[in-house]
Order: sequence, then structure tokens, then C-alpha cells
Amino acid sequence: MAGIGGAETTGKKVGWGLLNAVVVIYALVPVLWIVSLSFKSSATLADGNFIPREWSLENYQNIFSTSEFTRALFNSIGIAVIATAIAVVFGTMAAYAIARLDFPGKNLLVGVSLLIAMFPQVSLVSPLFEIERTLGLFDTWPGLILPYITFALPLAIYTLSAFFREIPWELEKAAKMDGATPGQAFRRVIAPLAAPGVFTTAILVFIFCWNDFLFAISLTSTEQSRTVPVALSFFTGSSQFEDPAGSIAAAAVVITIPIILFVLFFQRRIVAGLTSGAVKG
Amino acid sequence: MAEIVLDKVTKRYPDGALAVQEVNLEIADGEFIILVGPSGCGKSTTLNMIAGLEDITDGELRIGGQRVNEKAPKDRDIAMVFQSYALYPHMTVKENMAFPLRLAKVDNATVEKKVKEAADILDLSQHLDRKPSNLSGGQRQRVAMGRAIVRNPKAFLMDEPLSNLDAKLRVQMRTSVSRLQKQLGTTTVYVTHDQTEAMTLGDRVVVMRGGIVQQIGAPQFLYDHPANLFVAGFIGSPSMNFVPATLENGALRSVIGDVTLTDRVRQLVEAADAPREVILGIRPEHFEDASLVEPAKLSAGGKFTSQVDVLESMGSDKYAYFNLTGEQAASAELQELAKDAGSDDVPGDGISLVTRLSSASGAVEGASSDIWFDADKVQLFDPSSGKNLTYSER
Repeated sequence: MAGIGGAETTGKKVGWGLLNAVVVIYALVPVLWIVSLSFKSSATLADGNFIPREWSLENYQNIFSTSEFTRALFNSIGIAVIATAIAVVFGTMAAYAIARLDFPGKNLLVGVSLLIAMFPQVSLVSPLFEIERTLGLFDTWPGLILPYITFALPLAIYTLSAFFREIPWELEKAAKMDGATPGQAFRRVIAPLAAPGVFTTAILVFIFCWNDFLFAISLTSTEQSRTVPVALSFFTGSSQFEDPAGSIAAAAVVITIPIILFVLFFQRRIVAGLTSGAVKG
Repeated sequence: MAEIVLDKVTKRYPDGALAVQEVNLEIADGEFIILVGPSGCGKSTTLNMIAGLEDITDGELRIGGQRVNEKAPKDRDIAMVFQSYALYPHMTVKENMAFPLRLAKVDNATVEKKVKEAADILDLSQHLDRKPSNLSGGQRQRVAMGRAIVRNPKAFLMDEPLSNLDAKLRVQMRTSVSRLQKQLGTTTVYVTHDQTEAMTLGDRVVVMRGGIVQQIGAPQFLYDHPANLFVAGFIGSPSMNFVPATLENGALRSVIGDVTLTDRVRQLVEAADAPREVILGIRPEHFEDASLVEPAKLSAGGKFTSQVDVLESMGSDKYAYFNLTGEQAASAELQELAKDAGSDDVPGDGISLVTRLSSASGAVEGASSDIWFDADKVQLFDPSSGKNLTYSER
């Protein structure tokens, strides 16, 4: 008998190939369409051609010509990166405690964080709006970072505690015996092994913050803290009769790039089976 | 280098379960001591208490004359080898072995030198840049040992370090562990559930059961003079045979034949104030094919005739198994031993007996055989307390 890979017949291969092609086309066509739109000039925008008849960078020049988009991009990157960093750091600590320690109220803590994750966000918008206006957080970076952390933390804790449970506890004991303080054992042994989990979590949290529209539109009012998804919705043409679709398409392409870079960059570090070889075998 | 003293060390869990009860043990500097017993006997807990990975509920632990109960593992200066090896998978072999030194802030040149030394001793020099996942089981085991020896700790603690290796490699590693310990002369506490390892490795063996130390002594001493039924049954492979017997006027009656006690045995039994009903224990090698025993010796032992159930020829000896009719010897210790060996639910009536006969024996499977045993080698146990009634220090 041949191996699992070699056992495939030509028919099966063709079948799988077709299925894969369908899925890829289904997922990529809208993206390519947006890319195509972004390169069309305003005259040919609505001609229905998939491949632009005349290529132009007009839309990109437009969105970068005013501060409306660039400022929003800056806000988006800043807010998402800060929220991700804080959520991952706290999530790592909390997940470690949940995976390793038995302390009173542990189940309650897990339950509450699950509750937060399940809470419909839209019902919190009005109270948050009021609270933030009173506290002076409305239309500021912290005003968005705080709710993002709140909603990203349960996600982070869940993902990370699953990773921590995978790490053999004996490694920590071994580190202690080798002369490490609990802090050193965590930093030099546990954290590096949990790195794939940390990066996975970071990607998920970053995408969550980056894509958010609901909080961003409710809790901001000016360019000072408006993020890209919101700024996009405020795009207008140069006159009220002009369709801003070209500019929106270009902006959409631009904000997809950081996500792609982010995933590509961290993907290398998400090496499956990093812990293999730690214990017996 | 230091001696380790356990003074009435006790471990009680918060739920009240007693894992280890008043263990007294003095481990001399450079001694190789084995903690052995069935699973759940408290041997690993004892080791973890010495390591500092578990708190000591009661009693005192001294390393090198100093009380260390409250010290963190890192301040006790002892190294440990884990059953799972617990190698750091993100570090190379070299980094794994250097880790304790790096934590101790040893300078680079010394680290290089010490790691190289350890790698040479353990034959790991050509693997230094590999990750643990690319190593074989035996190599991983050696890396774990290497990580322990690089910093010359006061003592080594080993928690079943060989039990994940396959049988052949285990025998090899057993000799190298022994050699390494002699070479380094470091005090070593070694936990195992394998009585063969206990017999072959240690200077002294501590047999534990249910959190209580049963007996401490040199391997040969434990084999020859077990303090109770549990030690007698646990040490030795194949294990000692146990048969119910009756003591009457210096004579011992049982299904394996009636014998008159020898003077040595009689004196011990009288001094121990033995009950009438006892359990007779006798090791497989103290049997012989009756036709091969000199006539003069024949009278100094008992004899029985039975059909050979199974015969295993090892070349050098023959193991003959018998199944005799009669009640099995019953005691809590024997039940626990059977449970540990996994034979408690093997169906079987009567008394099963293992005998080691000379290879010249003409015993044939299925045929009847005359078997003789040496009356001076019998050990008698009290069925209620399990105590060895024939125990002597010599």
C-alpha cells in the first residue's frame, strides 16, 4: 500500500482541486474586485469591467491628499497596536494563572470573562457613550483602547490558557530545580514555549480592534481619534453628486495591507509542535 | 557534596490524606540511595520534598547540616532528573545543559568548559547543537543527566529516570548511571518502582509502602533479611513464594512438605514468640529437583511431588511453575503486592509456586516431579502483622 498521499487517484485529485479552486475564487473575487475598482479612474469606475481599461492611481492620490484618511490610518494603527499589546500581556498573565494555579474564585473569573465575551456590544454603546463623555474619554485614544481591551481580553485568555495547558508542568519544575526564580522560569521557559499562542492571540486581537466599526463610530466624533473603518464611511466625493466608491476601494485596499503583513510576519512564528521533544517521546 | 537528613518528615495534604509519614533517613555524603515501592507509596512525594517542589508538613529536612524546609528549590543547590526528562524544547542540547549555569550567572568561558566536560562524560559532544525533538530517547535522557551534573550540585535527585526507555536501553543506562555516580561521588537519591533497579544501583534501598518506610538496608540485606511480608514479596524477581503453614513443636507443616526447623530458625522463631499459623516464605532458588540433591542434604529439607504446570528453560536454569491445591496465603501486604503486579484479578485457585531448578533437572512439563527445598532458608511471617518471625540482623 502506498502512503496516504500516494493513495489518491487522479479522480480524487481533480475533485479536490476543483473544490479548492471554488473556495479560493469565492473568497478572492470580492478582494480582487475592490483592488480593480481602486485602480479605475472616476470616468471608468462604473463600466462593469473586471480588469480596468485604463489604470490610474488617482484614487490613491486622492485619499492621501487630505489628512482625513492618513490621520485615521495613524489612529487605527496606534489604537490597535496599543490595545493588542496590553490585552496580550494581561491575557498571558491571567491565562497562566488559570491554567496553572488553583485559587478561590477561579471558575467565577472564567465565567465572568466568558459573559463579557458573549455580551451584545451594541447594548453597551449608549452607556459607554455617557460614561466616556462624563470622564472626558470621549473622542480620545484611551476611549477606544479601553473597550477594545475589555472585549479582547476574554478572547485572549481563552486562546492562551489552551496553549498554557499544553506546556508540560515538569518544565517549570525543572527550571526551578535548575535555579530559576518563578519569574525567570516564566520568562525563560514558559513564555518562549507559549510564543505561538501569544502570536496567534495577538493576531486575533489585532484584527478585532482593526475591524471594529461599532465602538469607533459611537465613541469618536473628530479626526483626532477616528479610525479607518469610520473614516471610510465619511468619505464623500468632491461634489455631493460624485460617487466616492473609488476612494473607498483604495482605502479598503490600503487598510487590508497591514493585516496581511501582520499575519505573514507572525505566521512564521506559529510553528506547530514547538513543544515536541520536551518530554519523553 | 553533602549529607541529607530526613528527620520525621511528614506530608499531609490539605484534604487530610497522609502521603508520607515520619520518614527518618540519614543519607551519607556520596551515598547512592534508592526509594522504591509500588505506585502511591509516597516515594516521589518524599523526593519532591527533598527537592523543595512540595512543602514539608512536619519534621525537618537538613542538607549539609542546615535546615532547608523553608528554602526554595533554587537555594538548595540540588539537581533533579525527571521521569519525562523535562528538556527545554526551544533550546539546543548545549543551551539546555548551560541553563543552570546561566541562571547562576557563571561567566561564558566557564560555561563552555563545564558543558564540554559534561558532554564528554555523557558522550553528547556531537549533538550539542541539536534540539531535543531531534534526539532519541536515550540521548534525551543523557541530556537530562547532563543538565544535572554541569553545576556540581550538592545532590542529585532522580525520579524514575529510566522508566521511559525501552528494556535494552534501560539496562545499558542503568550501568552508566551507576558508573557516573561512582565517578562523580555525588549524593544521589533515586526513585523507582522497579525492584531490579533498586537491587542493582543502590548502596542502600528504602522500601516504602503507603507513606511509611518498611525497611532500609543494603540490597542484599533486604533480599536475605526482609523485615516483613511486603519487603519479602517486593524485593526479588521472580518474587518469593508464600504458603500458609502451621508451626507445631518445632515442626513446620505445609503443602510443600513437612520439615523440622533447623536450630537457627527455631531460635529465631522462639525469640519472636510466633503464633501457630504462619506464612512460609521461600525464594525460588531454594528449591531443587530432588533427584539432583545429595542424599545427605535431602533430609535437611522438605519435599513435595507435583505435576509441573509450566517449565521455562533459561539455559542456565529452569523455572518450574506448580499449582498446588490448598488455600492461598492471605494478608493485606500480599494483596497489595498482587495488586501492584496486576495479578490480583488473574483467576487461579490454589497456591502457585515458582521454583528455580538446575539446568540438569529432568523435569518435564505436564509430568510429575519431586521437588526439594532447603529448610534453613525458609522465612516465617506473622499473617496478622506481616512481621518476619525469622528476622535477624545477620
